[in-house]
Amino acid sequence: MTPDDRPAHPASPSVSTTGDSPAGPGAALPRHVLERVRAHDPQALGEFYDRYVDRVFGLALRLLGERAVAEDITSEVFLKVHRAAAQLDASRDPAPWLAAITTNACRDLWRSGAHRMNRRSDSLEDAPGLAERLTRGQDEPEREALAREREGLVRQAIEALPENLRVAVVLHDYEGLDHLEVAKITGIEHAAARKRYSRALEALGRSLKETLG
Amino acid sequence: MNRPDALTPDQSRAREAVRGMSRPAADPAFRARLRGQFVSGTIAPAARPVVGLVPFIARPAVRWGGAVLAAAAAFVVVSLLNQAPDWRMRTVSGDGIVVVDGVPVPIAHAADLERRLRAGARVQVPAGVRIELMSEGQLAIQFSPNTEASVPGLPGRWFGRAGTAELRSGELRVTTGRGFHGARLAIETPEARVEVTGTTFALICEPAGTCLCVMNGRVKIGARAGGAMHDVIEGRRRYVFADGRPDESADMRHTEHEPLGEFRDRMRGSLGAR
Repeated sequence: MTPDDRPAHPASPSVSTTGDSPAGPGAALPRHVLERVRAHDPQALGEFYDRYVDRVFGLALRLLGERAVAEDITSEVFLKVHRAAAQLDASRDPAPWLAAITTNACRDLWRSGAHRMNRRSDSLEDAPGLAERLTRGQDEPEREALAREREGLVRQAIEALPENLRVAVVLHDYEGLDHLEVAKITGIEHAAARKRYSRALEALGRSLKETLG
Repeated sequence: MNRPDALTPDQSRAREAVRGMSRPAADPAFRARLRGQFVSGTIAPAARPVVGLVPFIARPAVRWGGAVLAAAAAFVVVSLLNQAPDWRMRTVSGDGIVVVDGVPVPIAHAADLERRLRAGARVQVPAGVRIELMSEGQLAIQFSPNTEASVPGLPGRWFGRAGTAELRSGELRVTTGRGFHGARLAIETPEARVEVTGTTFALICEPAGTCLCVMNGRVKIGARAGGAMHDVIEGRRRYVFADGRPDESADMRHTEHEPLGEFRDRMRGSLGAR
């Protein structure tokens, strides 16, 4: 596998909007709906919102680590969307556009110094025996609990990354954007985006190895 | 060493861990409220200013740029406030043409003359003309006839509290005010240097040397070339010879008592008693 492997994603940005094809879970909204979003049609706006709100919120949460702040970012993103709806390209999936707005809002917040990642007091090293417990056979409820705990450690490892590396890995692997799209959003060269992602993955791999064994 | 695009097992595991993360949903109440606002067009900026003006101000480049501008503005304001009141021409008497920085100015053109008599300006006062300048509360200076000197730089109110002037020939009479307290004025003649910290005195630059007559307070004087400075106390004079003879000390010249006293008393109202 290579870092360029594109993850399968429920709403892959490469999806083009089509005429009347129904929008299943994760698929882009049909073009005619996006056209009505451009015209601020309330019903279309509702569909647009329902389709993307969790995606925007999830990305903000993964980048910022705090629900309250992620909600503020989500509000900000949809405010911008409402204001710029007329500029929406109905022929393209708006997911990368939303990811760009969300990422930029998060970066503005980081730059402002108003937000500091609320790092948990229980550091990655403070989970003795977790690796062993995670690899043992467990009953279903306990397995679910351990999976949650494992995800919490992954989340903490992501939050511990420097902001530019966090953006690189979250946009590529969590959000499903390719390196070219990540490069456009972050304003760097394609090669630099790939390199940054590699560094992020390297740091994350090292961190998770220490935690999960 | 790995190929650039190859992933180590740790990296692969990290990537799968990120890809496998759950997709959290927003709080239902928040979701519903924001939906209503978005659909109805009543959506407003977040209560906490997430992006916009505050982050813009706080962006590093803007923040540092703003800090530099603020510091520069503060510096300008403080520098302006620190400046002592400008020299104002109190009186000019006689008839003739004063040369200021090489420009002849008839004394009848009082406004033009006053405008040109700024700190650092070089002044040639002809015979029969007397000019008095004052910086309100700080310092008053009288240029006697046949005097060539520079207008003293004014000490700042709080910092940079030192001024300088030069007397090439003729006589300057100086008296200081309340606002001069703690400041210092240095005047150089071809052979001497005097330092003033609060006093009334006359400095007379003659072909043979420089005479310092102190009416009030204490003034230091020494050779311009360097060496020890000597205090000249109230009622005394010290003469620094141009040919290098040892200085002479004696009572202040009788001829200075009246004009210095009159000058001091006349300026006292505006300078404040000391």
